[in-house]
Amino acid sequence: MTLQQPALPATAALVRPARRRDRSRLFQEIGMLAPAVVLLTIFLLVPFLLSFWTAMTNQPLVPRPTPVRFIGFTNFLRIFKDELFWTALWNVSRFTFWVIPVQCGLAFATALLLHQKLPFRNFFRGMFFLPAITSMVVVCVIWGTLFQYPTGPLNQVIGFVSGGRIQPIDWLGDPNWAMFSVVLLSAWQAYGFQMIVYLAGLQGIPDELYDAARIDGANAFQRFWHVTMPGLRPTHVFVLVITTIQAFKLYTQVAILTQGGPKSSTETVVHYMVRTGFEEQKLGLASAVSVILFLIVLVIALLQRQLLRRFDV
Amino acid sequence: MSDLAITAMQTEVTRERSAIGSLRLVQTACILVIALVIVSPLLMLVVASLKDDRFQILADMGSFRAFWVSNPTISNFAEVGNFSGELAFGRYLLNSLFILGCTVGAGLIVNSMAGFVLAWGSLRGRALILSLVIALYVIPQESIIMPLVIMVSRAGITDTFAVQIVPWIASPLYIFLFYQFFAQLPKELFEAAEMDGASVFRIYRSIFLPLSLPALATVSILMGIESWNQYLWPILVTQTDYARPIAVAIATFFGQDSIYWDRAMAASVLMMLPILVLYLAFQRWFVSSFVGSAVKG
Repeated sequence: MTLQQPALPATAALVRPARRRDRSRLFQEIGMLAPAVVLLTIFLLVPFLLSFWTAMTNQPLVPRPTPVRFIGFTNFLRIFKDELFWTALWNVSRFTFWVIPVQCGLAFATALLLHQKLPFRNFFRGMFFLPAITSMVVVCVIWGTLFQYPTGPLNQVIGFVSGGRIQPIDWLGDPNWAMFSVVLLSAWQAYGFQMIVYLAGLQGIPDELYDAARIDGANAFQRFWHVTMPGLRPTHVFVLVITTIQAFKLYTQVAILTQGGPKSSTETVVHYMVRTGFEEQKLGLASAVSVILFLIVLVIALLQRQLLRRFDV
Repeated sequence: MSDLAITAMQTEVTRERSAIGSLRLVQTACILVIALVIVSPLLMLVVASLKDDRFQILADMGSFRAFWVSNPTISNFAEVGNFSGELAFGRYLLNSLFILGCTVGAGLIVNSMAGFVLAWGSLRGRALILSLVIALYVIPQESIIMPLVIMVSRAGITDTFAVQIVPWIASPLYIFLFYQFFAQLPKELFEAAEMDGASVFRIYRSIFLPLSLPALATVSILMGIESWNQYLWPILVTQTDYARPIAVAIATFFGQDSIYWDRAMAASVLMMLPILVLYLAFQRWFVSSFVGSAVKG
C-alpha cells in the first residue's frame, strides 16, 4: 500500500531545558512508544520471521519426539508439485476475474448515479453501505438460504424472469457455478465500501474542470472520458489492488459454505493453507504457503506504488 | 426576434428539460433496483428470524411471504438466547462485545501514544521506526497466523479472552492514522505547552488527545468492525464455549446435516443488532472512517 508521509514536524528547541529534563522526557517517550513496539514485535514481526524459518523445516503441528529438521526449499517444491495448490491459485484468479466487473463495476456505476443530485441520495448511500458492516458469517447465513436448490429465492426469481426457460441452478453444489456464487455474495457484501471510495474520488475532481470542458464544447460522454476517468485513476488503481489482495485472502465464505468443494472448485490459497496446517497437521508446508501468500501480496502492493507513481499522484 | 424563433427556442428548452427529466427517471429506477437487491436479503433475514417453523421459512422463501410474517414470534430468539449450555448465543454475544471493548479500548491508548511520539517526540530513530511500521502494514494477518497459533499454544493461552484481544491491539494502520492526525496539528500547540513546563505525556494527555476526536472515532469504528468480524483467528484458538465469539458460533450451524435456519437467522440478527444500532447513530462517522482508511491506507 502506498502511504502518504507527511514530513516529520520539527520539534522546536526554543528553550534549552536542563539535561535532567531531557532525560526524563526521553524516558517518557520510550515508555509511550514501548507498548506498541513490544506488541508489534511479538505478534507481528516474530511470527512473520518465524514463518520463513518454519517454511524450511518439517515442523508438525503437534510436537513429536523426533527433532525438527531443516529441509531447505523442499516444502516449496512439494507445494509447487501439488496440483491442488495450482487449482487454488487458478480459483482465486477466476474469483478476481469475476468479482472485478461485478463488484467494482457496479460500485462505480452506483457512485456515478449517487454523485448526481438525486433525491434521497444520502439515504441511499447509507442503505447501500449496510452489507459492508454486516459480518461475513451473517452474509453466509443469508446467502445460504438464497442459494437453496432447487426452490430458493434466487432460482425462483430467475425462473420467473425467464418464464421458466432457465432451469434451477445448484449454486453451491455445481462445480461450474460454485465459485461464481461465492463471487455474487462477496460482491454483495463488499460493494458498498468500494462505492463510497468511488464517491470520495468523484468528489475530489474539481468542478472547474467540468466547467472548462463544457465551455470547450465537450458533450456528456467526452466530459466523462476526458475529465472523470483521468481524475479517478488513483481510485481505480486502489480499488483494483484492494480487490485483488482480498481475493487472495478469500477464506471465510468458502470455509463456511463450500469447504473448498465441490470438486475443489472453490479451494482458495488461504483455505488450502489452513487445511494443510491444521487438518493435515503439516505446519512447515502450511508456512511455506503463507510465505508465498505474503510474497504475492507484496508484489501487488509494490505494483500499486509503481502505477500510482507513474500517474504522478 | 420573430415569434417563430422564440417558439423554436422554447421547444428546444422543453426538449432538453424533458430529456433531463427522463434521464432522472432512468437513474432513479436504477437506484431503486439496486436498493431492492441490497436490502431485500437483509429484510428477509429479519422477517425469517420471527418465524417459528424452519421448514416454513424455506417454503416461504420462494414467494413474497419471505417478506411477510403473519404471526411474529420471538421464540427463535428465546431458543438461542441462552447464557449457558446449548445454543448459548447470549453468552457468545457478550463474549464478542467484551473482546471488542477490550481490543478497541487498549488499541486507542497504545496506538495513539505511539502515533504521538512518532509525530512529536525527540527520540532519535523515530523516522526509522515510522518507516518500519509502514513496512509492517503490508503483512496480511493470514500469512502470520500459522506461527502465531503455535506461539500461543506453546504459551498455553489458547481458549482465553486474552488470546483474542492482545495480538490485535497494536496495528501499523492505526498507529499511522494517529501519527498522520497528530502531525498535522499546529506545532505552536506543542511549543506553548512545552514552555509552560508540561511533560510529553502531559501534552499528549491534556492537549493533543482531547483534540483528536475525529481520529479516535475513525480508529474505534475500524477496529471495532475488524474485531467483531474476526473469524479465522478465533476458530483456530477457541475450543470451548468459554471465550467463543458469536461469529464462530453461528458458523457451527453449517456443520450440521440439516441446518436449523430459524435458529441461524435469529442468531444472525442478534449479531447484526449492536453494529446496526451504532451505524444508525453514527452513520456519517462510519462512512468517513472507511473512506479515511482507504485514501490514507
